[in-house]
Amino acid sequence: MPNRTGKVLLIDDNDIDLKINSKVIKLSDFFDEIILCQSGEEGIEYINKNLDHPELLPDFILLDIQMPEMDGFEFLEIYKHFPKTFLDRCKLAILSSTLDFGDIKKAEANPLVIKLLKKPLYPNELKELLSRNSSLLGI
Amino acid sequence: MANPTVRVLYIDDEENNLQAFRAAFRRQYEIYTALSAAEGLKIMQHIDIHVVLADQKMPNTTGVEFFKSIVKTHPDPVRILLTGYTDIEALADAINHGDIYRYVAKPWNDLELHNSMKNAYDSYVARADLKNKITELEKTNDELNRFIYSISHELRAPLVSVIGIINLVKMEGLYNSSGEYWNLIETCSNKLDYYIQKTLQYYKNAKDVPDHNEINFDALVRELIELHTYSDKETKFNVNINQEVKFTGDAFRIEVILSNLISNAIKYQKTNELNKMVNIDIDVNEFEAKININDNGLGILKEHLEKIFTQFFKSKIHHGTGLGLFIVKEALNKINGTINVSSNIEDGTTFKITIPNAK
Repeated sequence: MPNRTGKVLLIDDNDIDLKINSKVIKLSDFFDEIILCQSGEEGIEYINKNLDHPELLPDFILLDIQMPEMDGFEFLEIYKHFPKTFLDRCKLAILSSTLDFGDIKKAEANPLVIKLLKKPLYPNELKELLSRNSSLLGI
Repeated sequence: MANPTVRVLYIDDEENNLQAFRAAFRRQYEIYTALSAAEGLKIMQHIDIHVVLADQKMPNTTGVEFFKSIVKTHPDPVRILLTGYTDIEALADAINHGDIYRYVAKPWNDLELHNSMKNAYDSYVARADLKNKITELEKTNDELNRFIYSISHELRAPLVSVIGIINLVKMEGLYNSSGEYWNLIETCSNKLDYYIQKTLQYYKNAKDVPDHNEINFDALVRELIELHTYSDKETKFNVNINQEVKFTGDAFRIEVILSNLISNAIKYQKTNELNKMVNIDIDVNEFEAKININDNGLGILKEHLEKIFTQFFKSKIHHGTGLGLFIVKEALNKINGTINVSSNIEDGTTFKITIPNAK
């Protein structure tokens, strides 16, 4: 079972969902640090700023799709240009309440997205996803 | 009742004809005249003409050439060609390329020409009405799309947050801390979420034209079972899929159909049944996919069998939305599939579905 795998970055414009999801992760004890960003821009900025400090970079990202200004897909367009060393060690899943078939297809087709998780976030689902990717997460 | 103003433009290189035309029709129509195609075009650029008549035989530009030249720039005015001699070639050309409404022989008969112009105007109005209706429909359609999108996001997102909070309450061991209140909140939230999801499925099915995607039934069925057994692992699934050929179909609708049937098979189990079973058999060939979904659940009463596919039908004891099977049937109709059901209270229910391979 995965335990203490490092840092998770949550990107979501909805502060209630940020609160709920960080609580779920905290209670499940999957990560020892949770970084919260309220927008795609903020997420990009956080990664950019810490590229020279790999110990501060996330190992896992949970990204919302519907956000004002930069949505999840726009975030991914910028995200894919980050250095390969970072992209190789950090995995990204989408966490969204979307039922839009187009959004779902688009998310699944993106090679950087390992899974589309639907809100609400269930610890079991997250645990399963993390164990399936445990090697990638460097546990 | 005042008659509507009908604006008619007549182009002819002979001033006499123009005068005769004005004299004959000025009481019924608002008349504009021009001695050449170029002059006529200038008038059309400034005035909203309903019916345009042109003489065929004119120097520089013939009537047909003129009509051809304005097909793109002025598509709305209805065209009538006047010609003194019968030139089959010019007529054929006019009909094929000039979008001509009527052909009237010269010298004209006033009554005949009046009727032609009246009919031409009616046709103009009908076309304009149709155009307005189309614009209106496009707008409504667009609004519906945005409405559906906002249901799926704005309306559902807060509800999903509520369900997330209920899960947190469970994780923190507080679920039973307030009598049954949390349980009631959870039941209501799930019901509302279910309704939102079904409503979206219904609208999306009703609206979109069938799409063609490659379908891997094995992957799809496994994914759906995983999704629906998440909260209830008691039901055992026997899946038997025989797909050796490529199957092309509408991924969204096929998913909706299978998802609703699988969810029903789980939902309508007997509570005291120890061996809850669902058998899914799918046989795919190059013409169609045959799908059998059988369960040993509650079964459907004979007198209900005919009604289960109608909107808002629900049995008294089991609370559903009355939308699931209705949506299944609607989705199958859209992709030319069929569904049959057999059921009795002892042996449970079998749905047999066929979906054509759209390869």
